[in-house]
Formats: sequence, structure tokens, C-alpha cells
Amino acid sequence: MGDNNVNLPPGFRFYPTDEELVVHFLHRKAALLPCHPDVIPDLDLYPYDPWELDGKALAEGNQWYFFSRRTQNRITSNGYWKSMGIEEPVNASTSNKKVGIKKYFVFHVGEAPAGVKTSWIMQEYRLPDSASSSRSSKRKGNPKTDYSKWVVCRVYEHDGDDDDNGTELSCLDEVFLSLDDLDEISLPN
Amino acid sequence: MPEKMSISVNGQSQVPPGFRFHPTEEELLQYYLRKKVAYDKIDLDVIRDVDLNKLEPWDIQEMCKIGTTPQNDWYFFSHKDKKYPTGTRTNRATAAGFWKATGRDKVIYSNSKRIGMRKTLVFYKGRAPHGQKSDWIMHEYRLDDNTVTNSDTNIVSNVMGSETGQEEGWVVCRIFKKKNHLIKTLDSPRSSSMNELLETRSSRTTHMFDSCNEGSLEQILEEMGNRSSCKEENNEGNQSERFLPHIDTGNNNNNNNNGFYYVDRFLKLPSLESPNSTSTNSQSCYQPIISDMVANQDLNNLVYNQMVESSSISTSGGGGLTNWAALDRLVASQLNGPSPTTFGYCNSTDHHDDHDQDQGHDHDLQLPTIRSSSTSSTTSSSSQMANYNNDIDLWSFARSSTSSLELPICHVLNADI
Repeated sequence: MGDNNVNLPPGFRFYPTDEELVVHFLHRKAALLPCHPDVIPDLDLYPYDPWELDGKALAEGNQWYFFSRRTQNRITSNGYWKSMGIEEPVNASTSNKKVGIKKYFVFHVGEAPAGVKTSWIMQEYRLPDSASSSRSSKRKGNPKTDYSKWVVCRVYEHDGDDDDNGTELSCLDEVFLSLDDLDEISLPN
Repeated sequence: MPEKMSISVNGQSQVPPGFRFHPTEEELLQYYLRKKVAYDKIDLDVIRDVDLNKLEPWDIQEMCKIGTTPQNDWYFFSHKDKKYPTGTRTNRATAAGFWKATGRDKVIYSNSKRIGMRKTLVFYKGRAPHGQKSDWIMHEYRLDDNTVTNSDTNIVSNVMGSETGQEEGWVVCRIFKKKNHLIKTLDSPRSSSMNELLETRSSRTTHMFDSCNEGSLEQILEEMGNRSSCKEENNEGNQSERFLPHIDTGNNNNNNNNGFYYVDRFLKLPSLESPNSTSTNSQSCYQPIISDMVANQDLNNLVYNQMVESSSISTSGGGGLTNWAALDRLVASQLNGPSPTTFGYCNSTDHHDDHDQDQGHDHDLQLPTIRSSSTSSTTSSSSQMANYNNDIDLWSFARSSTSSLELPICHVLNADI
């Protein structure tokens, strides 16, 4: 684990959209359907510090993916995840229907509430509350059947770095481009 | 156990959910383009051939889809043809417009070995010289013609060799649509008034630093020098040019020491943007700076003070601080004309050595800080010293001959690429 086991040509990477993460992975996981491809490991209520995820979660670039459960306090051996108070809906691109909710956490080293903030960020995706409440009403003592509390998480270290390989102009290119604005366009015919 | 996935891209898509074609520049060059050039069968028809003269960017977008998942960028092979049988220019005109190169080509490294170059082009609708700039951007990657085995002396000759052969043959391209940040609102075409120009430039400079990943002052200044002194990018490797050699030789001899060391330090700068609100609260204090810079025409002291304050709060190392100071100087130099300190600073960071001191130009208080923060790189060569002298002479000429700011900036404005 920690490496995706899909045999694809060079250049293919696991870069799921929010929607894909929720629809193709979280929904299937919660419904106990097999995920194809089954690349995201289940770490349950993982106690790992973010820098320990390598080798345990699915790693792609500087991002790590894993399944977990919803919990009030995510405490690890060296710190805790603190909610940033930000929640965003995940909408289906076709129907614009809300398929999930994305919540942001930031990792703090130490003990709450005196921990020291780090640059590790976690995005926790869960299913919409309506879906989970209808399911959680079926709960009967056996926590293992409570599939509503599944979440899928993406963890990364925020360093303000833009991916130069990505579909974004580098800042230097932007400067050059702006200089072009001031030039006369002079291509020979 | 590896799960075998067979995918056929241009037929029915079998790309598993969540996966995208997101190759690194190295993969594009070393795997795909190398196979293409060698006529190897590429195991998967991911990257198609496109006749750039026949298709508009929005056609390419349709043609080069991979699967059904949403894409932000599209890849294709293109065969470059000369515009004229005898010339060296590439014909990149389409029915609706044309692709125009911008900036300087970027060297692509693999394990600190040079493997190819990247050219950035912008699509203009219409016909030159009245084209209208679009948001379509193309990165065109080409392999170095001669695969050189590293040694320092060979690199220069290789640069020249590859430049001559660069206008023909297979290239691999990526097109995408530029995202517009704060730039768009500030775009002023061909501004006639100096104020507008200054606003544009200062805000650009700000933007440049907020997500900077490869930018360094040297490169920008180098480019400005490049534009005003020599107009063809082919001159890059020419040792006799006044401006360029000290930077080229510096990078080559040094194997990335100069350039990449600088990049590292920029990465540690706090970002001015607050993307996705994932940022931390320390960033909020940067927001006013942007608006200040845009609004204020005399930013010199104000911005400098704010930046020093902000960066001393939220950056850990001294490196960040000196970079902010450097930014201030760049901005100031653009606004007020070359100041005595500006170019002394830039040259000293470029060389990182004691020769700066020996040159005995009017360095200011900042220099010791800068030098101490960059002691890890050791660069020195006599050719650099010689060129260093040239630079200083040139800039002091500019300084003495222009008390107004028109001259240096107008150089830049009127220069073609």
C-alpha cells in the first residue's frame, strides 16, 4: 500500500475531483460496494501523525488519501486535527445535486488547546447529512453496521507552492506575458 | 497484487475513476517524446498527433480528450515545420489566429541533467499585428538534439547546437486555459500614461511573488536586459553577448547552484494569496499590501516597512526577509529608476562571492546580510567577474543618463521578443 496498484502508462496519476472522490469511492465504501480500483486504504480511526501516513495511505505527489470514520476528536500520538471551521458542499457536476460535504482541518502539534499549528491540512469528505441520518436510524447497537460515518480524507502539507507542471502559468511567465501586453505585436507576415 | 487495467483511450475510455493524465515534464520528454522521435510504438495512444496549423485550440480540446473525465489540460504531438524553406521560424498560424511565443524558453532537467526545453506560447485571435490575446496557453517541449553527457564544457556547445536545430521536428505540447487572478482587472492594453503603467507593473510584481515557484529577480532583470540588448532568444548561449553570459555560465558551471538555491528560498516565502482558505491566519496581513501596492504610486517606504514587519513575524529564516527587501528594491527600481543599491544587490546575489566586495561599488547596508544568507553556494570564475563589470558599467550608464524613469522602461516596452 501507499502506492497505487493500477497499471497505467507513465503520466497517469490519482488526481480525483471532489466529486469522484465522493461518488466513486466514498459512496461505494459506505454502501459496502467494492471500489474499482481499490486503491484507497482504510485506516479506520487512525492515530497517525500526518508525516507517518507515507506507506499507510495512498500517496500521490504530496497528497495522501485514506478512508476513516467520523469522529469528534482526531488525536494522534503527537498532536491533533483541529477544525478550521470551513465546510464546502461537493456537488455533482451534471445534476448540481449535493453529493457530499468537505471539511477542513489543520494539524496541531501538542495537546489541545495549546497545540502549535502546522502546515498540514486535511480535507475530510463525508456524505450529506440527509443521507447519513436516514441510514443511522437503522443503527442497532452494532457499530460495525453503521456505514454512515465513513469519511475519505486527503492530507497534504500546505507550502504555498504552485505545481509548475500543472495547468498554471508560472509567475515568471505571467510577468513575461504582461510585458507582451505592452509590446506591439510584431510578427513578420 | 497489481490489478491489470487495459485502457484504450481514443476508443472507449477505461481510465479508472480518479486517475488523470498528469505527466511530469520529464515523463513527457523522456518517455513520450523520445518514443515518438524514435518511432517506437507507444503502448497506449494517449497523446495524439495534431496539425497545429489546421486546428484551433478549442478543436484540440475536443480531439485530445482522454476518457470522459473533466480535463484542464490537453496533450498532443506536433511536427514543427519551417515557415519558410530557407528560414528558421516555425509556422504556427491557424485559420482563426496564431500562436506567439512569450518569455524565455525554460530548460528542463532530469536528475540535474539537461534533457530539453520548454517554450511558452499564447494564442492570439486574428492576424498579426492586430491579434487579440486569448487565455489559451501552450507549452511546447522539445528534446535537446544532442544528448550530451554532462561535462561542463560540452553544455555550452550543446546549447548552440540545439538552438540551430530547434525549428524542425517533433515536439510534445500541452495546452490549457490561463486562469485569471487579480491580473485580469489590471490589464491595460498599451497604456499611454505612466501612471497606468506603473500600476500595472507594480501589481504584476506583487502577483509574481505571491505564488512564486521559479521566479528570481535575476531572471526577470535578465529578461529585461535580454529584451533591450538582444532580440533573439537564440543568443542565449552566445558567450560574447554582454548581458547573458554571466548568468548562463554561472548556471552551467554550477549545476543549478545559483538558480535553484534561490528558488528554494522563495518557496519559503509566505504566500500572498490565500488559496481555498487553507491558509493560515498569518496571511491575512498580506492582503492589504496588494491593494496598497495597486493604489499607491509612491510605494517605496510604505510597502517596504509593511513587508519587513510582516515577514519578520511570519517567516522563520533570514532568507525570507532579504527576499522581501529584494522585492522592494525591484519595485522601487521599476518605479523610481535604477537606484544605486538595486543592481549592486542583484549582482551580489548572483555571484555570492567575495569579489563583490572587491569590485568596490557603492554597496549599502544590506549586503552583509545577503552574503551571509547565501554562503552555501560557492561560485567564482573570472568570466563572471568580467561580466559583472560590464553590467555595472551599463547600469551606471543608465543611472547617470536618466534621472527620469522613461528610458529604462521604454527600452523594455519597445523591444520585440
